[in-house]
Amino acid sequence: MALLEGRNLRKTYRLSRRNTLQALCGVDVSIEPGEIVAIMGPSGSGKSTLMHILGLLHAPDSNHGPRPELSFNGRDMVALGEGERTRIRAREMGFVFQDFNLVPTLTAVENVMLACDYAGVGGHKARQAALEALGLVGLSERADHRPAELSGGEQQRVAIARALVNRPSLVLADEPTGNLDSARSEEVLGLLRRLNREHGQTFVLVTHDPEVGQACDRIVHMRDGRIRDGRSGAAAAATQGTRLLR
Amino acid sequence: MRMLRNLARRRLRTGLTILGITIGIWALVVFGSMANRINDMVDKGSAFYDSGAVTVWGGGGSMPKSNPVDVAIADRIASLEGVDVVVPGVSMNISDDTAGMSMGLPPMITGEVAGSDKGRMAMVLRAASGRLLAAADEGSNVTVLGCDLARQYGKRAGDTIALRGEDFQVVGVLEPTLTQPDNSAMVPLAAAQRLYLSTLPSLVTANLTASKVVTSFTVYPRPGTSSEAIAAEIKAADPELGTMTPSDFTRLAGSYAAMLNAVLVGIGLISVVVGGLSVVNTMAMAIAERTREIGIKRAIGASRARIVREVVAESALIGCIGGTIGLFLGALIVTLANDAGRSSGTILFELTAGTAATALAFSTLLGALAGFVPALHAARLDPVAALRYE
Ligand SMILES: Nc1ncnc2c1ncn2[C@@H]1O[C@H](COP(=O)(O)OP(=O)(O)O)[C@@H](O)[C@H]1O
Ligand SMILES: [Mg+2]
Repeated sequence: MALLEGRNLRKTYRLSRRNTLQALCGVDVSIEPGEIVAIMGPSGSGKSTLMHILGLLHAPDSNHGPRPELSFNGRDMVALGEGERTRIRAREMGFVFQDFNLVPTLTAVENVMLACDYAGVGGHKARQAALEALGLVGLSERADHRPAELSGGEQQRVAIARALVNRPSLVLADEPTGNLDSARSEEVLGLLRRLNREHGQTFVLVTHDPEVGQACDRIVHMRDGRIRDGRSGAAAAATQGTRLLR
Repeated sequence: MRMLRNLARRRLRTGLTILGITIGIWALVVFGSMANRINDMVDKGSAFYDSGAVTVWGGGGSMPKSNPVDVAIADRIASLEGVDVVVPGVSMNISDDTAGMSMGLPPMITGEVAGSDKGRMAMVLRAASGRLLAAADEGSNVTVLGCDLARQYGKRAGDTIALRGEDFQVVGVLEPTLTQPDNSAMVPLAAAQRLYLSTLPSLVTANLTASKVVTSFTVYPRPGTSSEAIAAEIKAADPELGTMTPSDFTRLAGSYAAMLNAVLVGIGLISVVVGGLSVVNTMAMAIAERTREIGIKRAIGASRARIVREVVAESALIGCIGGTIGLFLGALIVTLANDAGRSSGTILFELTAGTAATALAFSTLLGALAGFVPALHAARLDPVAALRYE
C-alpha cells in the first residue's frame, strides 16, 4: 500500500478579484514507503504547492472538477480539520524548508526538541531524542549553538535532525539544498541518502539540481502545474532494484 | 527562560513597553494608596460616631460651622427627651493661614472640659507620652498635641507651644488615631473659648463673653433613643442649629471619599490602560517580526492554541515585570512621601497588601489580555504564507 497517495490534486490561487492562477491542475501522485522521491521542474511549476498539499499545510481545491483524494498511512486526509492535520504534521511528518528553518533564539538541540514537544514528548526523553537526532546528522558537538553560530549547511542538518526526531513516516523537504554551495548540498544529500538506506526513511524532496535528482529512487517532473511523466526509465529500474533488495 | 530570550531580542522596545506598564502600575499604586488613606480616615472618623453622637452647631446647614453659639443652649438640649450627655466644645483652625493648605486633616485647636462626655466618646485617646487633659486643667494654659501636629511643630511633652498668640505647655502627645485628633491641639475649654473669641472680628465680640461662647455641642442620646430622633428634636427646638448624625456623616464622608477614590483610581487605571496599549503594540510588532518563525512552528506541528499560549505568556511576563517594578517604585515613593509628610503632619498614603497584590495581578492580567489579540492573529496565520513572508 502506498504511504501517501493523492488524486486530482488542484490548487488555484486568487491573485486579485478577477485573476486567479491555477498552480496545480489535477495531479496524481503516489509515494511508496521507503522511497526517496525527487520532485523537479522549472520555477513556478507548482512543486511547492504540491508539497504543501502533501504536507497537510494546505487543503486541495475541491470545487470545479473531480473530487480530490489524499490518503496518508491509509487514512483520508481531505476531510480532516485543522487540529487533526496539525497533529499529524507534528507526529507523523517531518519538514525541511529552503532556509530560515530554525527559531533563532533557540539552540540547535532546543530547535530539535521543539518537534518533540509538539509531538507530545517532553523533558528528559525529548532531550535524549534530540541529541540522538543531532548525532545522526553529525552535529552532536554543536548542540548548544544558536543558528547564527552555525553555517548554512549545519543549519539545514539541524532542520533535518528536527524533521527526523519523531521518527516520522514521511519527510518532506522543499529545496533543502537550494541555498547551499555544491559541496554543502552534496553533504546534505549524502545524509538524506544514508538515512534512507539505513533507516528506510521515506523522503520527498524538491530540487533543481539534476545530480540530486539522479541520486534519488525516482524523479517526478512537473511543468505548469502538471506531472509530465511518471518515472524515468533508469530511476524506475533503480527503484525496482532497491525494492527487490529489501 | 525562552520567553526571556524572546524579550531580550528587542531590548529597547521591550524596555520601553515595560516602562509603560511600570508607570501605569506606579500611578495605580500611588493613587491607590492615597485612596486607601482617605478611606481609612473616613472609617476612623466614623468610629467617633459609633456612640450615636450627634454634632450640633450654630447657623444651620448640613456642614459643621465654627459660628459662635451660646453655651446656655447646652442646658436646653440636655432637657430634651432622650438626651443623655451634652458636651459643649470649641474648635477652630490652628491659624488663619493654614485653613486651605492641608490636603489631609486640617490642623485644629479643640477645647472641651476633659471628662465632660462622661465616658461616652467612642474614640479612645491614649497618650504616647505625658498625659491626657483632666478637668483640673481648666483655667491653665496646657495642651495635648496630636502625633502629627507634635511632629510638625517639633514639640514634645514638657515643651511650650504658641497657639494663636498664647503660650501653652505641652503636657502630652497622643498616640496615632489616623484621623482628626492626630492633627489637633487639645486645650481646656476656657482656653479654647478665649482663643476662639480672639479670632472673631471685634464688631462681633463686642457683646460676647468668652466663657459663654462655644462652637459646637456633642450630644449623646440615651440608650434606646436614635440619633436621628435627637437631631430632629434639636432642630425642632431651635431651627438655627445644624446637626450631623452618624448616618449623615457616613453619607457625606462616604460620597466625598467615593468621588475622590473614583478620581484617583481612575487616573491610575488610565495610566495602566495606556501601558497596556503599548503592550498590544509591542506584541503586534514582535509577531510581525517573527512571522516566519511562527510559520515554521505551525508547519512542524505547533497547534494554534500553543501559539496563542506562547504569545500570551510572553506579554503576561512583560506585564508582570512592569508591574513588579512599578509596585516597587510606587512603594518607594509612598514611603518617602510619608516620611517627608510626617514632619509636616500630612500622611497622604497607605499602601496595603491588598493594593500591592491587586497591582501585581492586574498588571499580569493586563499583559495577558494585551497579548491576546496579537496572539489570535499569530495563530490564524497561514503557515505557508508565514513561511514566504519576508
Ligand atoms: N500564495 C500564493 N498566491 C498566489 N500565487 C501563488 C502563491 N503561491 C504560489 N503561487 C504561484 O503558483 C505558481 C506555483 O508556485 P510554486 O508551487 O511555489 O512553484 P515552485 O515551487 O515550483 O516554484 C507560481 O506561479 C506562483 O507564483
Ligand atoms: Mg518552490
